[in-house]
Amino acid sequence: MAENVRDEMAEKAQFYPGETKIAENRRKYMDPTQELKRLREIPDEDIVRLLGHREPGEEYPSVHPPLEEMEEPECPIRELVEPTEGAKAGDRIRYIQFTDSVYFAPIHPYIRARMYMWRYRGVDTGTLSGRQIIEVRERDLEKISKELLETEIFDPARTGVRGATVHGHSLRLDENGLMFDALRRYRLNEETGEVEYVKDQVGVELDEPIPVGKPADEDELKERTTIYRIDGVPYREDEELIQVVQRIHELRTLAGYRPDEAEGK
Amino acid sequence: MAEKEEKLFMKALKEKFEEDPEDVTTHFYDYGGWKQSERKREFKEWADKIAEERGIPHYNPDIGVPLGQRKLMPYQVSGTDVFVEGDDLHFVNNAAMQQMWDDIRRTVIVGMDTAHRVLERRLGKEVTPETINEYMETLNHALPGGAVVQEHMVEIHPGLTWDCYAKIITGDLELADEIDDRFLIDIEKLFPEEQAEQLIKAIGDRVYQVLRMPTIVGHICDGATMYRWAAMQIAMSFICAYKIAAGEAAVSDFAYASKHAEVINMGEMLPARRARGENEPGGVPFGILADCVQTMRKYPDDPAKVALEVIGAGAMLYDQIWLGSYMSGGVGFTQYATAVYTDNILDDYVYYGLDYVEDKYGLAEADPDMEVVKDVATEVTLYGLEQYERYPAAMETHFGGSQRAAVVAAASGCSVAFATGHSQAGVNGWYLSQLLHKEGHGRLGFYGYDLQDQCGAANSLSVRSDEGLPLELRGPNYPNYAMNVGHLGEYAGIVQAAHAARGDAFCVNPLVKVAFADPDLVFDFTEPRKEFAKGALREFEPAGERDIIIPAE
Repeated sequence: MAENVRDEMAEKAQFYPGETKIAENRRKYMDPTQELKRLREIPDEDIVRLLGHREPGEEYPSVHPPLEEMEEPECPIRELVEPTEGAKAGDRIRYIQFTDSVYFAPIHPYIRARMYMWRYRGVDTGTLSGRQIIEVRERDLEKISKELLETEIFDPARTGVRGATVHGHSLRLDENGLMFDALRRYRLNEETGEVEYVKDQVGVELDEPIPVGKPADEDELKERTTIYRIDGVPYREDEELIQVVQRIHELRTLAGYRPDEAEGK
Repeated sequence: MAEKEEKLFMKALKEKFEEDPEDVTTHFYDYGGWKQSERKREFKEWADKIAEERGIPHYNPDIGVPLGQRKLMPYQVSGTDVFVEGDDLHFVNNAAMQQMWDDIRRTVIVGMDTAHRVLERRLGKEVTPETINEYMETLNHALPGGAVVQEHMVEIHPGLTWDCYAKIITGDLELADEIDDRFLIDIEKLFPEEQAEQLIKAIGDRVYQVLRMPTIVGHICDGATMYRWAAMQIAMSFICAYKIAAGEAAVSDFAYASKHAEVINMGEMLPARRARGENEPGGVPFGILADCVQTMRKYPDDPAKVALEVIGAGAMLYDQIWLGSYMSGGVGFTQYATAVYTDNILDDYVYYGLDYVEDKYGLAEADPDMEVVKDVATEVTLYGLEQYERYPAAMETHFGGSQRAAVVAAASGCSVAFATGHSQAGVNGWYLSQLLHKEGHGRLGFYGYDLQDQCGAANSLSVRSDEGLPLELRGPNYPNYAMNVGHLGEYAGIVQAAHAARGDAFCVNPLVKVAFADPDLVFDFTEPRKEFAKGALREFEPAGERDIIIPAE
């Protein structure tokens, strides 16, 4: 349905301004018509273990009966909005939260938020500097998490799955290139060259490590990243983006102060 | 762009970390946890003793998150050579910080002219410089806890209230000449000539008394106690000094004048949802805080330092004490607040902005228009963000996005204020900086941090009732500012930046500016950051101690 609505929109969604590779990546990740490139396979069971909300194979705990068994009141919104599979089943709302390093992580907080809002339904997302959470009905969350972990927007060294004690995004990298994690939820397996989680997202130890793939090299990260940096693509060079932000600021200022002057600007 | 060696933060970064500040990698997990910190070791030792003596578990750094998996970095207090541990900057661990707030809270200014008119016209008493001096001597006996009217009265040990006294401010230079030096805050002596002229003109011939209530009373009672305590002792001292009847109706005029008509509190009363009386931090407007800080009279040619000292004072008062304790409690807010007054990072950005606007526009010479806001705020924001990118040690120092957002926006707002001499334009520059930062770095602060910055532009130029105020008169209780850290002290700094650029002796109230120039205050308001460093080193001597009435250790 969301796709139809977009098709009927008078204006074509531009997703994000900017004339650099970084802006292009931002647009790409937000644009739901662009398929994210799959870089690794993580078994469904491992994703469930990493999330730590239920045991693999366990029934989804529910907070209400399936919608079809509930006598819901007549409501035009209910008729208009198709429930997600998790909502239909009455699943709990659970979360996955990421920390993205400032050192060329593939995606980072506000771009994540906008990507989530463009691509997924039934999500509630919160954005901070050091972490970015998405809360969803549990079975929907597992599907979304799989995409978030297996595709190009995840890098095992520069992206962390962290429910608590999240700091690391702004710290220098460890000697092996991994982002700092005070709870040491993951480690670099020297033999396989892969990063593997030894704790779930809140730091509870796992019975078996979960491999999440090899870290990308620096050049590849610079190609995939949404982060402007002075040692990559400097923000200063994206004049279009800066001008758009300045314009938004000017219009907001005028709208509060002299709305008449904002007309036509 | 300033060269690497000129960066003001370089010394701090080299001291904090063993690696070159430009290195992207380091090592972790091998620092020995919390034991790497001398302060944490001291805390643990004390806590173990307390737990053993009392039988209840106490502080234990092995509980919760594993502290010290990375370097527990020291902090250089900006504008000083002093390096301290972060813990030493929590206000509970820092006596200077406590005293800064004590000295603001316990200050009340009361006009004397109404009382003098009542004495002269209604009671037929003569008011002369001599009688004013006699009154002041009486007040300096009564205010710390001396009895003046009843003959059988308990009194307060002067050793507990040594910091309590009263002085006089006036712009009437003839009268000032005749006031006993012990009671006069001498504007001509304390301020550079140009500033003294402004202050004397603004105050005019009126006479004010500045009262400092005992610090210990502020600790036990609250800010609203201060003007009541002052009013009671003022009324008693008038009765005593001018030999008038304690019970006659005219006395109520002294009380009314002292409590209402002529009183100037440092903080306004707060509404029920924040439920505090007068003289509490949430009621101190930005312009009043800027006037408390005295850097302008000591460093009149250094507007950056003038603004930075206000920001340091404001971050401590508004973020650490008000939001971090009155409104929430605990330890988290110190980490946000210290970013603006440690390691000279904000200093570097503010001086960069000052140089930029001096070269391009001249101090306070640009029109406060959108083109100037856009130019200056954009340049300073980009410079600030680039320093975090160029120096990973700086990024790690300000490891929270709110810290970086506050620092970059403060530098931008101050720089616009330097260029225009206009605080409203300055705060508009702050909001542009926040939007630029958010899109550039793709992250800003925590959920609540960003909130006011998304909508701030829309109210930044409004001065109509219920929509806005001049920035000088906004404060922590301004609706959009009431809930979050990393903004309030910086806004006070933007106010100060505008007035420093203009060469103004004061921002809002000349009386407040003069009252805090008083050298007998316990806290030295000329350089708050230096005082904080002294407090961190445990070298600051505060007031309000109880040693003389408790068993000796």
